[in-house]
Amino acid sequence: MEIAARIAEGFIGMFQKGGTTFVGLVTGIIPLLIVLMTAVNALVRLIGPERIDKVAMISSRNVLLRYLILPFLAVFFLTNPMAYTMGRFLPEKQKPAFYDAAVSFVHPILGLFPHANPGEIFVWAGIAAGITKLGLGLGDLAIRYFLVGLLVIFIRGLVTERITAIMWARRSVSEGQSQGEESTSAAGAPSAVEAGGAALAGGEEA
Amino acid sequence: MQVVARGLEAIGRAVGNVVGILYQAGRDTIDQVIRNILPFMAFISMIIGIILYTGIGNIIAHTLSPLASNIFGLLLMSVICAIPILSPLLGPGAVIAQVVGTLLGVEIGLGHIPPQYALPALFAINPQVGCDFIPVGLALGEAEPETTEIGVPAVLMSRLITGPLAVVIAYLASFGMYAGH
Repeated sequence: MEIAARIAEGFIGMFQKGGTTFVGLVTGIIPLLIVLMTAVNALVRLIGPERIDKVAMISSRNVLLRYLILPFLAVFFLTNPMAYTMGRFLPEKQKPAFYDAAVSFVHPILGLFPHANPGEIFVWAGIAAGITKLGLGLGDLAIRYFLVGLLVIFIRGLVTERITAIMWARRSVSEGQSQGEESTSAAGAPSAVEAGGAALAGGEEA
Repeated sequence: MQVVARGLEAIGRAVGNVVGILYQAGRDTIDQVIRNILPFMAFISMIIGIILYTGIGNIIAHTLSPLASNIFGLLLMSVICAIPILSPLLGPGAVIAQVVGTLLGVEIGLGHIPPQYALPALFAINPQVGCDFIPVGLALGEAEPETTEIGVPAVLMSRLITGPLAVVIAYLASFGMYAGH
Protein backbone atom coordinates (compact mmCIF):
# COMPACT_ATOMS: atom_id res chain seq x y z
CA MET A 1 0.00 0.00 0.00
CA GLU A 2 2.82 2.33 0.90
CA ILE A 3 4.56 1.62 -2.36
CA ALA A 4 1.40 2.38 -4.29
CA ALA A 5 1.05 5.65 -2.42
CA ARG A 6 4.62 6.56 -3.22
CA ILE A 7 4.11 5.80 -6.90
CA ALA A 8 1.02 7.96 -6.89
CA GLU A 9 2.93 10.78 -5.23
CA GLY A 10 5.69 10.49 -7.79
CA PHE A 11 3.18 10.51 -10.60
CA ILE A 12 1.46 13.62 -9.31
CA GLY A 13 4.78 15.23 -8.42
CA MET A 14 5.90 15.05 -12.02
CA PHE A 15 2.88 17.09 -13.11
CA GLN A 16 3.15 19.44 -10.15
CA LYS A 17 6.61 20.29 -11.40
CA GLY A 18 5.13 20.91 -14.84
CA GLY A 19 2.39 23.03 -13.29
CA THR A 20 4.94 25.20 -11.50
CA THR A 21 6.78 25.63 -14.79
CA PHE A 22 3.51 26.57 -16.49
CA VAL A 23 2.69 29.25 -13.92
CA GLY A 24 6.21 30.59 -14.26
CA LEU A 25 5.84 30.84 -18.03
CA VAL A 26 2.39 32.41 -17.87
CA THR A 27 3.28 35.06 -15.28
CA GLY A 28 6.78 35.62 -16.65
CA ILE A 29 6.15 35.87 -20.36
CA ILE A 30 2.47 36.52 -21.09
CA PRO A 31 1.82 39.93 -19.42
CA LEU A 32 4.61 41.73 -21.27
CA LEU A 33 3.79 39.82 -24.44
CA ILE A 34 0.12 40.86 -24.38
CA VAL A 35 0.82 44.56 -23.90
CA LEU A 36 3.65 44.62 -26.43
CA MET A 37 1.67 42.67 -29.03
CA THR A 38 -1.33 44.94 -28.59
CA ALA A 39 0.81 48.04 -29.12
CA VAL A 40 2.48 46.69 -32.24
CA ASN A 41 -0.76 45.26 -33.65
CA ALA A 42 -2.33 48.70 -33.22
CA LEU A 43 0.63 50.38 -34.91
CA VAL A 44 0.43 47.99 -37.85
CA ARG A 45 -3.30 48.65 -38.23
CA LEU A 46 -2.84 52.43 -37.99
CA ILE A 47 -0.16 52.42 -40.67
CA GLY A 48 -2.22 50.17 -42.92
CA PRO A 49 -1.21 47.58 -45.51
CA GLU A 50 -1.37 49.99 -48.49
CA ARG A 51 1.55 52.05 -47.21
CA ILE A 52 3.58 48.91 -46.46
CA ASP A 53 2.99 47.76 -50.04
CA LYS A 54 4.36 51.06 -51.35
CA VAL A 55 7.55 50.73 -49.30
CA ALA A 56 7.87 47.12 -50.40
CA MET A 57 7.73 48.08 -54.07
CA ILE A 58 10.57 50.55 -53.58
CA SER A 59 12.56 48.07 -51.49
CA SER A 60 12.56 45.43 -54.21
CA ARG A 61 14.95 47.33 -56.44
CA ASN A 62 18.20 47.09 -54.54
CA VAL A 63 19.93 43.99 -53.19
CA LEU A 64 20.54 45.47 -49.74
CA LEU A 65 16.92 46.55 -49.42
CA ARG A 66 15.62 43.31 -50.92
CA TYR A 67 17.21 40.83 -48.53
CA LEU A 68 17.59 43.05 -45.47
CA ILE A 69 14.98 45.79 -45.21
CA LEU A 70 12.12 44.14 -47.10
CA PRO A 71 12.17 40.86 -45.11
CA PHE A 72 12.33 42.82 -41.87
CA LEU A 73 9.42 45.07 -42.84
CA ALA A 74 7.45 42.10 -44.13
CA VAL A 75 7.91 40.05 -40.97
CA PHE A 76 7.38 43.04 -38.67
CA PHE A 77 4.22 44.36 -40.29
CA LEU A 78 2.62 41.33 -41.89
CA THR A 79 3.98 38.67 -39.48
CA ASN A 80 4.34 34.95 -40.16
CA PRO A 81 2.98 33.63 -42.57
CA MET A 82 1.56 36.65 -44.46
CA ALA A 83 5.05 38.16 -44.70
CA TYR A 84 5.81 35.95 -47.70
CA THR A 85 3.14 37.68 -49.79
CA MET A 86 5.66 40.54 -50.18
CA GLY A 87 7.44 38.28 -52.64
CA ARG A 88 4.88 39.30 -55.25
CA PHE A 89 6.74 42.57 -55.84
CA LEU A 90 9.87 40.71 -56.95
CA PRO A 91 10.84 39.10 -60.25
CA GLU A 92 10.41 35.30 -60.37
CA LYS A 93 14.12 34.54 -60.06
CA GLN A 94 14.39 36.41 -56.77
CA LYS A 95 11.31 34.97 -55.08
CA PRO A 96 12.99 31.86 -53.58
CA ALA A 97 15.79 34.02 -52.17
CA PHE A 98 13.33 36.48 -50.69
CA TYR A 99 11.31 33.67 -49.15
CA ASP A 100 14.49 32.22 -47.67
CA ALA A 101 15.46 35.59 -46.18
CA ALA A 102 11.99 36.36 -44.84
CA VAL A 103 11.32 32.95 -43.30
CA SER A 104 14.73 32.95 -41.65
CA PHE A 105 13.84 36.15 -39.85
CA VAL A 106 10.64 34.97 -38.17
CA HIS A 107 12.61 33.78 -35.12
CA PRO A 108 15.47 36.29 -34.68
CA ILE A 109 12.81 39.02 -34.47
CA LEU A 110 11.10 37.33 -31.51
CA GLY A 111 13.46 38.64 -28.83
CA LEU A 112 12.48 42.23 -29.57
CA PHE A 113 9.11 41.94 -31.35
CA PRO A 114 7.30 38.77 -30.30
CA HIS A 115 4.10 39.83 -32.08
CA ALA A 116 5.64 38.76 -35.39
CA ASN A 117 5.44 35.03 -34.69
CA PRO A 118 3.84 34.31 -31.30
CA GLY A 119 2.97 30.73 -32.21
CA GLU A 120 6.65 29.81 -32.40
CA ILE A 121 7.92 31.95 -29.55
CA PHE A 122 9.63 29.06 -27.78
CA VAL A 123 12.39 28.89 -30.38
CA TRP A 124 13.52 32.05 -28.62
CA ALA A 125 11.82 31.81 -25.23
CA GLY A 126 12.99 28.26 -24.53
CA ILE A 127 16.65 29.22 -24.57
CA ALA A 128 15.95 32.66 -23.11
CA ALA A 129 14.29 31.00 -20.09
CA GLY A 130 17.65 29.47 -19.20
CA ILE A 131 19.34 32.87 -19.28
CA THR A 132 16.59 34.34 -17.08
CA LYS A 133 17.02 31.48 -14.65
CA LEU A 134 20.68 32.38 -14.24
CA GLY A 135 19.58 35.88 -13.26
CA LEU A 136 21.02 37.47 -16.40
CA GLY A 137 19.32 40.13 -18.53
CA LEU A 138 17.80 39.16 -21.87
CA GLY A 139 18.51 42.46 -23.64
CA ASP A 140 22.02 41.56 -24.70
CA LEU A 141 20.98 38.20 -26.15
CA ALA A 142 17.86 39.63 -27.81
CA ILE A 143 19.67 42.44 -29.62
CA ARG A 144 22.52 40.16 -30.73
CA TYR A 145 20.04 37.55 -31.98
CA PHE A 146 18.28 40.29 -33.93
CA LEU A 147 21.45 41.73 -35.49
CA VAL A 148 23.04 38.37 -36.32
CA GLY A 149 19.65 37.36 -37.74
CA LEU A 150 19.71 40.35 -40.09
CA LEU A 151 23.22 39.48 -41.27
CA VAL A 152 22.26 35.83 -41.76
CA ILE A 153 19.12 36.58 -43.79
CA PHE A 154 21.13 38.91 -46.02
CA ILE A 155 23.70 36.17 -46.66
CA ARG A 156 20.89 33.63 -47.20
CA GLY A 157 19.28 35.95 -49.73
CA LEU A 158 22.52 36.30 -51.68
CA VAL A 159 23.43 32.60 -51.59
CA THR A 160 19.94 31.40 -52.51
CA GLU A 161 19.66 33.96 -55.31
CA ARG A 162 22.95 32.66 -56.73
CA ILE A 163 21.93 28.99 -56.44
CA THR A 164 18.55 29.74 -58.01
CA ALA A 165 20.27 31.49 -60.90
CA ILE A 166 22.61 28.52 -61.49
CA MET A 167 19.74 26.01 -61.38
CA TRP A 168 17.64 28.20 -63.64
CA ALA A 169 20.42 28.29 -66.22
CA ARG A 170 20.95 24.50 -66.06
CA ARG A 171 17.26 23.90 -66.36
CA SER A 172 16.87 26.01 -69.50
CA VAL A 173 19.77 24.12 -71.06
CA SER A 174 18.33 20.69 -70.23
CA GLU A 175 14.88 21.83 -71.25
CA GLY A 176 16.20 22.69 -74.70
CA GLN A 177 17.57 19.14 -75.03
CA SER A 178 14.53 17.19 -73.88
CA GLN A 179 11.56 19.45 -74.22
CA GLY A 180 9.01 16.78 -75.11
CA GLU A 181 9.84 14.63 -72.13
CA GLU A 182 9.59 17.52 -69.68
CA SER A 183 6.30 18.91 -70.80
CA THR A 184 4.39 15.65 -71.16
CA SER A 185 4.92 14.14 -67.73
CA ALA A 186 4.26 16.23 -64.66
CA ALA A 187 5.90 13.57 -62.48
CA GLY A 188 9.05 13.76 -64.57
CA ALA A 189 9.63 17.45 -63.86
CA PRO A 190 10.44 17.31 -60.15
CA SER A 191 12.83 14.40 -60.61
CA ALA A 192 14.62 16.36 -63.31
CA VAL A 193 14.99 19.24 -60.87
CA GLU A 194 16.27 16.91 -58.20
CA ALA A 195 18.85 15.53 -60.57
CA GLY A 196 19.88 19.11 -61.32
CA GLY A 197 20.16 19.78 -57.60
CA ALA A 198 22.35 16.72 -57.07
CA ALA A 199 24.56 17.76 -59.94
CA LEU A 200 24.82 21.23 -58.42
CA ALA A 201 25.81 19.85 -55.02
CA GLY A 202 28.47 17.71 -56.68
CA GLY A 203 29.73 20.69 -58.63
CA GLU A 204 30.09 22.76 -55.50
CA GLU A 205 32.11 20.14 -53.73
CA ALA A 206 34.48 19.99 -56.64
CA MET B 1 -22.92 76.55 -34.76
CA GLN B 2 -23.04 74.10 -37.63
CA VAL B 3 -19.25 74.36 -38.07
CA VAL B 4 -18.75 73.46 -34.40
CA ALA B 5 -21.12 70.52 -34.69
CA ARG B 6 -19.35 69.26 -37.78
CA GLY B 7 -15.98 69.65 -36.07
CA LEU B 8 -17.18 67.71 -33.07
CA GLU B 9 -18.53 64.99 -35.28
CA ALA B 10 -15.21 64.70 -37.13
CA ILE B 11 -13.29 64.46 -33.87
CA GLY B 12 -15.72 61.93 -32.48
CA ARG B 13 -15.43 59.80 -35.56
CA ALA B 14 -11.61 59.95 -35.55
CA VAL B 15 -11.42 59.04 -31.89
CA GLY B 16 -13.91 56.25 -32.36
CA ASN B 17 -11.87 54.97 -35.25
CA VAL B 18 -8.63 54.93 -33.25
CA VAL B 19 -10.28 53.33 -30.24
CA GLY B 20 -11.76 50.71 -32.54
CA ILE B 21 -8.32 49.93 -33.94
CA LEU B 22 -6.78 49.69 -30.48
CA TYR B 23 -9.59 47.47 -29.30
CA GLN B 24 -9.22 45.22 -32.32
CA ALA B 25 -5.47 45.04 -31.70
CA GLY B 26 -6.17 43.87 -28.16
CA ARG B 27 -8.67 41.33 -29.41
CA ASP B 28 -6.16 39.97 -31.95
CA THR B 29 -3.53 39.70 -29.24
CA ILE B 30 -5.71 37.81 -26.80
CA ASP B 31 -6.82 35.57 -29.63
CA GLN B 32 -3.19 34.75 -30.46
CA VAL B 33 -2.35 34.11 -26.81
CA ILE B 34 -5.23 31.71 -26.35
CA ARG B 35 -4.94 29.97 -29.70
CA ASN B 36 -1.19 29.68 -30.10
CA ILE B 37 0.81 30.64 -27.06
CA LEU B 38 -1.00 29.05 -24.12
CA PRO B 39 -1.40 25.62 -25.75
CA PHE B 40 2.28 25.54 -26.52
CA MET B 41 3.13 26.63 -23.01
CA ALA B 42 1.03 23.78 -21.64
CA PHE B 43 2.82 21.31 -23.89
CA ILE B 44 6.27 22.70 -23.03
CA SER B 45 5.48 22.75 -19.27
CA MET B 46 4.50 19.11 -19.36
CA ILE B 47 7.72 18.16 -21.12
CA ILE B 48 9.85 20.21 -18.73
CA GLY B 49 8.03 18.74 -15.74
CA ILE B 50 8.66 15.20 -16.91
CA ILE B 51 12.27 15.94 -17.78
CA LEU B 52 13.11 17.62 -14.50
CA TYR B 53 11.29 15.07 -12.35
CA THR B 54 12.24 11.77 -13.94
CA GLY B 55 15.92 12.28 -14.47
CA ILE B 56 15.69 12.26 -18.25
CA GLY B 57 17.27 15.65 -17.70
CA ASN B 58 20.46 13.93 -16.60
CA ILE B 59 20.59 11.90 -19.81
CA ILE B 60 20.08 15.05 -21.84
CA ALA B 61 22.68 16.83 -19.74
CA HIS B 62 25.19 14.11 -20.63
CA THR B 63 24.43 13.94 -24.34
CA LEU B 64 23.03 17.27 -25.52
CA SER B 65 24.95 19.60 -23.21
CA PRO B 66 28.47 18.61 -24.28
CA LEU B 67 27.31 18.93 -27.88
CA ALA B 68 25.84 22.38 -27.26
CA SER B 69 28.71 23.79 -25.22
CA ASN B 70 31.28 23.84 -27.98
CA ILE B 71 31.28 25.27 -31.46
CA PHE B 72 31.93 21.96 -33.23
CA GLY B 73 29.00 20.25 -31.56
CA LEU B 74 26.75 23.15 -32.54
CA LEU B 75 28.07 23.01 -36.10
CA LEU B 76 27.32 19.29 -36.23
CA MET B 77 23.80 19.98 -34.98
CA SER B 78 23.23 22.63 -37.65
CA VAL B 79 24.56 20.41 -40.44
CA ILE B 80 22.23 17.59 -39.41
CA CYS B 81 19.22 19.91 -39.30
CA ALA B 82 20.15 21.38 -42.70
CA ILE B 83 20.36 18.07 -44.60
CA PRO B 84 17.92 18.61 -47.50
CA ILE B 85 15.94 15.42 -46.78
CA LEU B 86 15.69 16.07 -43.04
CA SER B 87 15.11 19.80 -43.05
CA PRO B 88 11.54 19.71 -44.44
CA LEU B 89 10.67 16.98 -41.91
CA LEU B 90 12.09 18.93 -38.98
CA GLY B 91 10.43 22.16 -40.00
CA PRO B 92 6.66 21.96 -39.35
CA GLY B 93 5.46 24.43 -36.76
CA ALA B 94 9.05 24.82 -35.59
CA VAL B 95 8.09 22.19 -33.01
CA ILE B 96 11.50 20.50 -33.07
CA ALA B 97 13.34 23.81 -32.75
CA GLN B 98 11.07 24.85 -29.88
CA VAL B 99 11.44 21.59 -27.97
CA VAL B 100 15.20 21.39 -28.46
CA GLY B 101 15.48 25.08 -27.59
CA THR B 102 13.54 24.50 -24.39
CA LEU B 103 15.74 21.53 -23.48
CA LEU B 104 18.85 23.62 -24.04
CA GLY B 105 17.29 26.44 -22.02
CA VAL B 106 16.79 24.08 -19.10
CA GLU B 107 20.44 23.00 -19.33
CA ILE B 108 21.62 26.62 -19.54
CA GLY B 109 19.53 27.38 -16.45
CA LEU B 110 21.12 24.47 -14.60
CA GLY B 111 24.58 25.71 -15.54
CA HIS B 112 25.50 22.77 -17.76
CA ILE B 113 25.85 24.98 -20.83
CA PRO B 114 27.65 28.34 -20.58
CA PRO B 115 25.24 31.24 -21.24
CA GLN B 116 27.26 32.74 -24.09
CA TYR B 117 26.48 29.60 -26.11
CA ALA B 118 22.83 30.64 -26.14
CA LEU B 119 23.40 32.78 -29.24
CA PRO B 120 25.06 30.19 -31.52
CA ALA B 121 22.63 27.59 -30.14
CA LEU B 122 19.67 29.70 -31.32
CA PHE B 123 20.97 29.31 -34.87
CA ALA B 124 22.20 25.72 -34.50
CA ILE B 125 18.73 24.42 -33.64
CA ASN B 126 17.09 26.24 -36.50
CA PRO B 127 18.75 25.94 -39.93
CA GLN B 128 15.61 24.10 -41.08
CA VAL B 129 13.35 27.09 -40.49
CA GLY B 130 10.63 27.26 -43.10
CA CYS B 131 11.99 24.32 -45.13
CA ASP B 132 8.62 22.58 -44.86
CA PHE B 133 6.79 25.64 -46.09
CA ILE B 134 8.69 26.63 -49.25
CA PRO B 135 5.97 25.82 -51.84
CA VAL B 136 3.29 27.56 -49.76
CA GLY B 137 5.53 30.53 -49.02
CA LEU B 138 6.36 30.92 -52.69
CA ALA B 139 2.69 30.58 -53.62
CA LEU B 140 1.89 33.38 -51.18
CA GLY B 141 4.42 35.44 -53.10
CA GLU B 142 2.50 34.61 -56.29
CA ALA B 143 5.38 32.61 -57.76
CA GLU B 144 4.95 30.59 -60.96
CA PRO B 145 4.97 26.76 -60.61
CA GLU B 146 8.35 26.68 -62.37
CA THR B 147 9.79 29.02 -59.76
CA THR B 148 8.60 26.67 -57.04
CA GLU B 149 10.17 23.69 -58.81
CA ILE B 150 13.53 25.42 -58.78
CA GLY B 151 13.02 27.36 -55.58
CA VAL B 152 12.42 24.35 -53.30
CA PRO B 153 15.74 22.60 -54.01
CA ALA B 154 17.55 25.95 -54.22
CA VAL B 155 16.51 26.95 -50.69
CA LEU B 156 17.20 23.47 -49.29
CA MET B 157 20.63 23.47 -50.92
CA SER B 158 21.38 26.97 -49.71
CA ARG B 159 20.67 25.98 -46.12
CA LEU B 160 23.51 23.45 -46.19
CA ILE B 161 25.86 26.40 -46.66
CA THR B 162 24.12 29.13 -44.71
CA GLY B 163 22.99 26.97 -41.76
CA PRO B 164 26.47 26.19 -40.41
CA LEU B 165 27.68 29.63 -41.54
CA ALA B 166 25.02 31.25 -39.34
CA VAL B 167 26.30 29.26 -36.35
CA VAL B 168 29.85 30.47 -36.98
CA ILE B 169 28.70 34.09 -37.29
CA ALA B 170 26.61 33.79 -34.13
CA TYR B 171 29.55 32.19 -32.32
CA LEU B 172 31.82 35.09 -33.27
CA ALA B 173 29.09 37.56 -32.29
CA SER B 174 28.68 35.91 -28.89
CA PHE B 175 32.12 36.96 -27.65
CA GLY B 176 31.81 39.26 -24.67
CA MET B 177 28.21 38.33 -23.97
CA TYR B 178 27.57 37.55 -20.30
CA ALA B 179 31.35 37.64 -19.86
CA GLY B 180 31.18 38.34 -16.14
CA HIS B 181 29.21 35.25 -15.46
